[in-house]
Amino acid sequence: MSGPRLKLALEHDSATRGRHVRDIVTELKRLHWVRGAMLVAPDGFVIAAELPPTVTVDSVAALAATLGRELETSAARLGRPSFSTAMFSADDGTMFLAGSRIGYLVILADQQVNVQAIRGALGDAVALIEAAWGPGEVRPS
Amino acid sequence: MPLLRRLWRPAERAPQSVPEALRRAEQSRREGRYTEASALVARVLELDRDNLHAHLLAAYLHVARRATAPAKAEFRWVLGHDANHARALIGLARVALEESDTRACHELLRRALRFYPDFPEAAALLEALRASESAPPTRTATPAPRVDRLRLPGTGRALIVGRSDGTLLAAQPASEDAREVSEALTRVVRLAGATLQRCALGRVHRAIIDDGGDAVFVRTDGDLIVSLTLPRTTDPTQGLLDVNRLWSATLHELGVAAASNPATPVNTPAVDPTRRVS
Repeated sequence: MSGPRLKLALEHDSATRGRHVRDIVTELKRLHWVRGAMLVAPDGFVIAAELPPTVTVDSVAALAATLGRELETSAARLGRPSFSTAMFSADDGTMFLAGSRIGYLVILADQQVNVQAIRGALGDAVALIEAAWGPGEVRPS
Repeated sequence: MPLLRRLWRPAERAPQSVPEALRRAEQSRREGRYTEASALVARVLELDRDNLHAHLLAAYLHVARRATAPAKAEFRWVLGHDANHARALIGLARVALEESDTRACHELLRRALRFYPDFPEAAALLEALRASESAPPTRTATPAPRVDRLRLPGTGRALIVGRSDGTLLAAQPASEDAREVSEALTRVVRLAGATLQRCALGRVHRAIIDDGGDAVFVRTDGDLIVSLTLPRTTDPTQGLLDVNRLWSATLHELGVAAASNPATPVNTPAVDPTRRVS
């Protein structure tokens, strides 16, 4: 994997998970060319968000969660593995989405962002979540 | 947490009251601890089986755990007790969308907005739904491009060419599920487009969807969708260059096909002059 790695180590104590999940989002937000990041549950509930003030968090969270579920259910219908990361590039920026057992990590970035670096960082973030939340929580179908 | 403090910490007692259990369930949900939250909701329902808040929370937790059928049952239970419950309406609408029941989704969102016009999530989803409904109509007369003339890169696994209304124009290799893949890609591109527009980032042009084995590189102009499946290890820039080349070749082939069949004119999308590879 190329690019920066997330500088986090999670304690596996459930009481500290709320803070750690916010730390993961904060670390993603710090990456080069990244404008904002969020972790949204599959039901659209915002677990943690650091997005630009111009973005209406609840609306974007609802759409991002719907998109995440669409990626998962499409793959399941076609008998393929669920998506791990997805990138969508538009005129004025790029959005990344990664699936994890507790929800979807979303990154909004400038267009010139290093795609490989962000994919790597998202992989690290998902691995941290997997390690901290353990087998007690379900994995995406 | 220091080891001694961890050892001396008393075990968390079971909540004794409904408000306490609900508060702790909400807290667990906020931290993504769905198993603990579900156990607490179950405790609430033991104490008060008709607690509407607990049933709604149970529905959310089922969705969070990707269990659609019980989520639907819980949302319906809530609506059975409060027919205009906005959160239950939007929850059920999202389940309907997952099940590709856009009519039901539309109706549920409209109901939610009728009673609660300032409901941003419902408004955003309805807008996304309307955008997909206003996609260009199926061009039954659109000639299929000669995909045999579209040269896949050496590592290329599949090529799908479709329209934003889900119409499959061409697939290489021809596979039984090509139409389903094309329709799925259409739904994903539409939803991603709506999300990007909501973030004021403009229209979606490119995508990379990685499933751990393959990476699907997509190019679109909002009407035509060209996707190329490559190994996941493909460098993103190379994959985007490959799909750009196939995009141009597809436009050429569509133009050739239209010219050879002038009775069915095709509004061939304009080639994006920028050709950025981001």
